[in-house]
Amino acid sequence: MNTKIKKIFKHNEIYLFLIIIVFSLIITSINPAFLTLENLFDLTKSSAGMGILAIGFFIVLLSGGIDVSFTAIAIAGQYISANVLMASGVDNIFLAFLISCSVGVFLGAVNGIFISIFKLSTLIVTLGTLSAFHGALLAFVGTKAINTAELPDCFKVFGHKNIFMLSRADGTSYGLSVYVLILIGVVIFSWLILKYTMLGRGIYAIGGNRESALRSGFNIVGIQFFIYCYVGFLAGIMGVMHISLLRYSNPMYIVGTELSVIAAVVLGGARITGGTGSILGTLLGVVMISILEKNLVLMGLSSYWHQFFVGLIIIVGVSITSYQNKRRSIESLTFR
Amino acid sequence: MAEELLEVKNISKAYTGVQALDNVSMSIKRGEIHCLVGENGSGKSTLIKIVAGVVKADEGEIIINGRLYKNLHAIDSIEEGIQVIYQDLSLYPNLSVAENISLNQMVEIKKKFISWKEVKNNARAELSNIGKELDLDVMVEDVSVAEKQLVAICRALTHSARLIIMDEPTSALTKSEIDSLFSVILGLKEKGISTLFISHKISEVLKISEKVTILRDGRKVGEYSTDELDNDKLIFLMTGKKIANSSFKYKGKEHDRKVLLEVRNLSKKGNFEDVSFKLRKGEILGITGLLGSGRTELALSLFGLNKADSGEIYIDGKRVRINSTQDAVKLGISYLPEDRLSQGLFIEQSIGNNIIITILKKILNRLKLISSSKREKSIKRWSEKLDVRAPSLELAVQSLSGGNQQRVVLAKWLATSPKIFILDGPTIGIDIASKSNIHSIVRGLANAGIGIIIISDEIPEVLQNCNRVLVMSEGRVIRKIDDVSDVTEEELFNIVSRKELIKVS
Amino acid sequence: MLGKYAKTIVLFIIMVGVFAVMVIFLQDKFLTVTNFQSISSQIPEFGLLALAMMLAMMTGGIDLSVVSITNLTGVVAAIILTKFAGPQMGEGQIILIIILAILAAVAASLVCGFINGFLIVYVGVPPILATLGTMGLFLGIAVVITEGHGVTGFPDKFLYIGSGTIGVIPIPLIIFIICTLIVALALNKTSLGLSIQMLGSNPVAARFAGINNNSVLVKTYLMTGLLAGISSIIMISRVNSMRPGYGYAYLLTAILVIVLGGVNPSGGFGTVSGVVMGVIILQLLQSGFNILAFSPFFKKFIWGFMLLLVMVINFIIAGYQQRSGKLKTRA
Repeated sequence: MNTKIKKIFKHNEIYLFLIIIVFSLIITSINPAFLTLENLFDLTKSSAGMGILAIGFFIVLLSGGIDVSFTAIAIAGQYISANVLMASGVDNIFLAFLISCSVGVFLGAVNGIFISIFKLSTLIVTLGTLSAFHGALLAFVGTKAINTAELPDCFKVFGHKNIFMLSRADGTSYGLSVYVLILIGVVIFSWLILKYTMLGRGIYAIGGNRESALRSGFNIVGIQFFIYCYVGFLAGIMGVMHISLLRYSNPMYIVGTELSVIAAVVLGGARITGGTGSILGTLLGVVMISILEKNLVLMGLSSYWHQFFVGLIIIVGVSITSYQNKRRSIESLTFR
Repeated sequence: MAEELLEVKNISKAYTGVQALDNVSMSIKRGEIHCLVGENGSGKSTLIKIVAGVVKADEGEIIINGRLYKNLHAIDSIEEGIQVIYQDLSLYPNLSVAENISLNQMVEIKKKFISWKEVKNNARAELSNIGKELDLDVMVEDVSVAEKQLVAICRALTHSARLIIMDEPTSALTKSEIDSLFSVILGLKEKGISTLFISHKISEVLKISEKVTILRDGRKVGEYSTDELDNDKLIFLMTGKKIANSSFKYKGKEHDRKVLLEVRNLSKKGNFEDVSFKLRKGEILGITGLLGSGRTELALSLFGLNKADSGEIYIDGKRVRINSTQDAVKLGISYLPEDRLSQGLFIEQSIGNNIIITILKKILNRLKLISSSKREKSIKRWSEKLDVRAPSLELAVQSLSGGNQQRVVLAKWLATSPKIFILDGPTIGIDIASKSNIHSIVRGLANAGIGIIIISDEIPEVLQNCNRVLVMSEGRVIRKIDDVSDVTEEELFNIVSRKELIKVS
Repeated sequence: MLGKYAKTIVLFIIMVGVFAVMVIFLQDKFLTVTNFQSISSQIPEFGLLALAMMLAMMTGGIDLSVVSITNLTGVVAAIILTKFAGPQMGEGQIILIIILAILAAVAASLVCGFINGFLIVYVGVPPILATLGTMGLFLGIAVVITEGHGVTGFPDKFLYIGSGTIGVIPIPLIIFIICTLIVALALNKTSLGLSIQMLGSNPVAARFAGINNNSVLVKTYLMTGLLAGISSIIMISRVNSMRPGYGYAYLLTAILVIVLGGVNPSGGFGTVSGVVMGVIILQLLQSGFNILAFSPFFKKFIWGFMLLLVMVINFIIAGYQQRSGKLKTRA
């Protein structure tokens, strides 16, 4: 029993979980409304999108790469699908998803081509595509924001859909959004791939020891291609969720929030060098960042502190794992 | 149905400047235990990579299971049942022991989904085959070197393998683990699986193999059945006639024998324990032993890269602390690293830059800027002194042969005018002519008063070039030989491979 | 022998080529004094950032926080200039304040650079992540200090830095040229510079060769910070204001000109002249795009696209060189 408990404590996730609990308690003491079901439902709804993006980023990180273009892909998917729906008059949320995800997969494939076929540095490629995708969207599709009135109804309806409803004291009701279902779906699907398919194990293998993966006979080009397409796909999903949540679309949005997502993933314990991390950790990281972002004001800090804290979190979170790594490599006399 | 599982005929392969393999032929029967023997640089690794389809031969044929391959690809080799356990083991540090063992097989049979139960059962079965137990859920990065080797071996065994090639598999195993491995190999034989065992350890070769192919300098010296061989004959075949019949003679006279370096009770947890020795001016001290005996770790401690936990180091009689390479260089210590390509050279940089990188302070002018004339002069001086041959000194070092590259590394350290020079495996992967050239350079240095330590696996190299020898095993100095003429090659072999264990303990 | 200078020559040809194209297709609109003035006013502040990023990349790392450092140091200088300098002050006092502001900016930039160096060297954080974090951290501090507002209204004497000239040459350009020469000198002619190149080529071999990797890296990031700081002083004196959040487009274009200029992102190789030419090429293109009234979004697309294009071209060239054995010769 003792060793089992010790094993649990070895994982980063448990510490993160405890920190979240402590944090929540502190916030609740300042604002009792925090720990209410309604607030928690609300929190879930608004951070589900980030969660999905984080899972995508996490999978790329696992393979030893980095993709910073996911925000551009998300907004591209969102804006294009909204415009298409408006132009064609079709008012169907499934079509919206289809278009957005197709755009996402397409853009992800572009990343995939440069990274897996030309074998270029992932950070620089995705920095380039971040700029190219967003620039192309704004230059070729348009810059006009879509306000609530113009937005097709399917988005608004979708944004309001709840799994079940509960009533408040005054008779009005609130509910748990379907966003949770989508998030859970993505989580389960991703988890299944990572844990139970050779494709998923291949991702871990590439991240752990690329040379060995080559020797083992893994199809590295194919696996990498899949990864970047999958990130694009997830970004497409998030795009539709985002527009439905805000009931508004501005093609300048989403881009610029990369740091928060990266902070969440890194906080969750995924290593930058690849090969380690867990979906659970990523989700906990998202929870932590979301709570932080929404409650900065409560803590007496104006929203201006947001950037600072996100940066600080990345640094602290990464420092801990990096330092552990450093000590380990010094002891084993491996020279980086 | 051919009785020969694998046949290679007239294989030749050249790299720039070196003929790695020259008209080599070899054959392995089904269920045969075959050893490929030779010193470092004899061409063993190249031959293996060619058989595995990872490297293409310039000439020759490969016939596996009766099928002729003119152009063998890695996947063909794998599908024919050839499994290679490389020296670097090729494991995944971030995956569990069980997964490392089972993963390759699943890739090969093109599985799409994983059953973790199967993975674990598979792993458990293979481990019990070798009679070993390991915690299946531990990440391989957290496991010891010996355990990693076991994992690599198990991994190769799970395939529908017909031939398992092991490249120096016993480098970090204890005696009992080696015995386990040998019983596994015998078990494979019973199942009709052949083993190609690469080694340069005489005792192991004689113990386990049925047939031995001996390589020397890229050529096949012969193929013998093991009964025909004994220790002496094998050594002779491996090393051939000694080019330099002379041995190094220590020239120090009594009053000249200043102690340059003294090490007392130096210990580092997990690396080495209670090491003490002295090094005098003009001496060449050899440190030998099996891989994993702590020699390199000890050398790194003296060079500032592996600070010892306890013990003392004295240079010229004064106690010193060596906490960084800068400290070491300041004290006049130079170190020629084991891994020439990734530790000793800046492969893409010019020969010139490689040479002066250690003496940057010496080529500055009054303004603290690098003086071109001083730079050119230094490069010219040291490259000439060490006879580094290249069309231009501005060319990248990667274009040089192994011997020339090693001379560049030597040049860069000699430029610092060291007092103490530690050479770790100085002639690994170098052709025989360059080898003897480097040996004579080193002896010259000793005669000029530098204290030299040579760390080497090759007993003949140690005996010919050192006047004193330390034998290390599992971190401890198990024998000090104060005069090299006191011991024969065979005796030294026995000490190193611990055949003498019974006597000593 | 020519191989060493081949890249530089190619770049020079491209630069001249771009210039020629601009002249041919845009003629009168391109060859105006105002156009060249605008080009030469952008080059210094952008060029310094590119040099800063170049140093980090030479060691095989990257510094994503350069723009944030610019923001923070700009804010620091701006605060001092506005809070302490009043219209009733004497000339001498104002100059003192200006000097103080510049020193404070320099100090702040060095502190930022040190933080980067510390994280990378002593904590062992990979440069991408460390500077990703400090990118947010430094900008965050700048935003907190100014509460998101811009700071304007600097003393005239200070603005002289940004808009004044010595003879015909604008002061920022002079500063840039001096910095370029110093960096080139440092990189090629000092032991630190050579250490940076070798370390970028092979950090393990550098350690084994007795180089103090830690010290070299920290110094590199200090220099990076310093250059970013100088850039910010030029920037705020040119536009007479400082607003956090400015200049992030420079991040991508800085990497673009460096890669264009022949710097190898994995470290060890690159020349200052290459980067400078890359900067010039970019500015020429930029001015051409402005004349053609390209939208900023289209430009964003082009820069991203160009980065990818340059990387692919480099990849193809490298592959060709390896295959034709240009990199290897018989010993």
